[in-house]
Amino acid sequence: MSVPVSQMYTVASYILQQKIRGQKRYPFVLMLEPLFRCNLACAGCGKIQYPAQILKKHLTVEQCLAAVAECGAPIVSIPGGEPLMYPDIDKLVAELVKRRKYIYLCTNAILLKEKLHLFTPSKYLTFSVHMDGLREEHDEAVCRDGVFDEAVEGIKAALQRGFRVTTNTTLFDGASPLRMREFFDEMMDLGVEGMMLSPGYSYSKAPDQEHFLHQTRTNQLFSEMLSKPKRRWKFNQSPLFLRFLMGKKDFECTPWGNPTFNMFGWQRPCYLLQEGYAASFRELMDGTKWENYGKKSGNEKCRDCMVHCGYEATAVDHTFSSLKGFAETVSVALSGKL
Amino acid sequence: MTLEGWVPQINDYTSLREVVDFAFDYRGNTTVVKRDGGEIVGYIFNREADAPDAFIQLFDEQGDGPFTIPYRDIATIKFTGKDTAAGNSWKAWVERKEKERALRAAASGVDRLGRDPGPDGG
Ligand code: SF4
Ligand code: SF4
Repeated sequence: MSVPVSQMYTVASYILQQKIRGQKRYPFVLMLEPLFRCNLACAGCGKIQYPAQILKKHLTVEQCLAAVAECGAPIVSIPGGEPLMYPDIDKLVAELVKRRKYIYLCTNAILLKEKLHLFTPSKYLTFSVHMDGLREEHDEAVCRDGVFDEAVEGIKAALQRGFRVTTNTTLFDGASPLRMREFFDEMMDLGVEGMMLSPGYSYSKAPDQEHFLHQTRTNQLFSEMLSKPKRRWKFNQSPLFLRFLMGKKDFECTPWGNPTFNMFGWQRPCYLLQEGYAASFRELMDGTKWENYGKKSGNEKCRDCMVHCGYEATAVDHTFSSLKGFAETVSVALSGKL
Repeated sequence: MTLEGWVPQINDYTSLREVVDFAFDYRGNTTVVKRDGGEIVGYIFNREADAPDAFIQLFDEQGDGPFTIPYRDIATIKFTGKDTAAGNSWKAWVERKEKERALRAAASGVDRLGRDPGPDGG
């Protein structure tokens, strides 16, 4: 695990507070999408397909901050679209830092180098750079040559200026475990703080429908890739979630763990499925038929989903819900064996 | 499969509720035809079919809104806008890459990665 102690402490005390208060459902990471516009059009992306007038729109900083306050999660992840194309991204980040929120700004890093001057290094701000593998695999995944090199340039510049940088990688069918192991080495050589991994979700709107991973293939791929992990590899996520991806644990989805807010409102039920929008966070929490989602529900759309925004929250909750879960997390963290 | 160009007739076989569901799922602008004959073009981003007074919500072509229209005011919805989820630019990109790879493989005698183009996700 590569998460700083202060962040771990903030998250742990937040979860314990929720438990003491007897909260059954609580958010862990707010997925804040200030805009849907992007400078790429990746094949597996289910986020950017909107008519022009929607792509031109974005939330105001005030709307974003109101959503952050309403939700109360200690971590705010800013995906999109490409958040560096959001005209007020500097103001938004500065305001979130003031509010002591841990921010993961999820970027494809094409604009990172030229926009770095807008930000100040802080323990609260991490650039989470979208990297789907080594040069050839990444450029294929994002459907444009040269993006891997641009992202590496951006990462180097950010690290040089003292920013926290992690990578986030989505894996699809056809990924080579050996090439991925090489990729982990390369990212560690670059000096990133940690890596995040997730299998892709089979968005019905994504142009490429052939390469989404199904559960047994996910288990196989992650087992091949992560068994005998090198000690130098650092993952910026719960080790229990990685064990789940390897098929060593069975978890149920926690769809309210990572609620999503964007220009349409609070997305029901999760970051991946778009079944409607609630006007307020309370309405999302109280008015969503949560029993219709997750594997146990039998919902087709959830059948093969093992994505971090549904299951990482379960893994983290498991760590703090039982001594067994806590001991397992500590033992994986100390031994480095997944 | 795309619904682009579809002009559904609401009748015994196709209910308004179904058409609204398709329109909600459609990633493109639609034209909402109202019972009073008025029309509004825009992107339908929300629908509450089970609300006491069922409604849709949309942003119009200028991006203004959200506008809320009750089901009871809707005659039909025409799928007039381009389906932005059709993914043609990606297909062109894959074809170009496949050609490049075939040329490279022919030059070197092997396909180094031996994998199909993989997608990426949100
Ligand atoms: S960079 Fe992210 S938001 Fe942009 S197209 Fe790719 S996956 Fe979608
Ligand atoms: S299983 Fe996946 S798609 Fe279904 S609710 Fe959970 S996160 Fe969303």
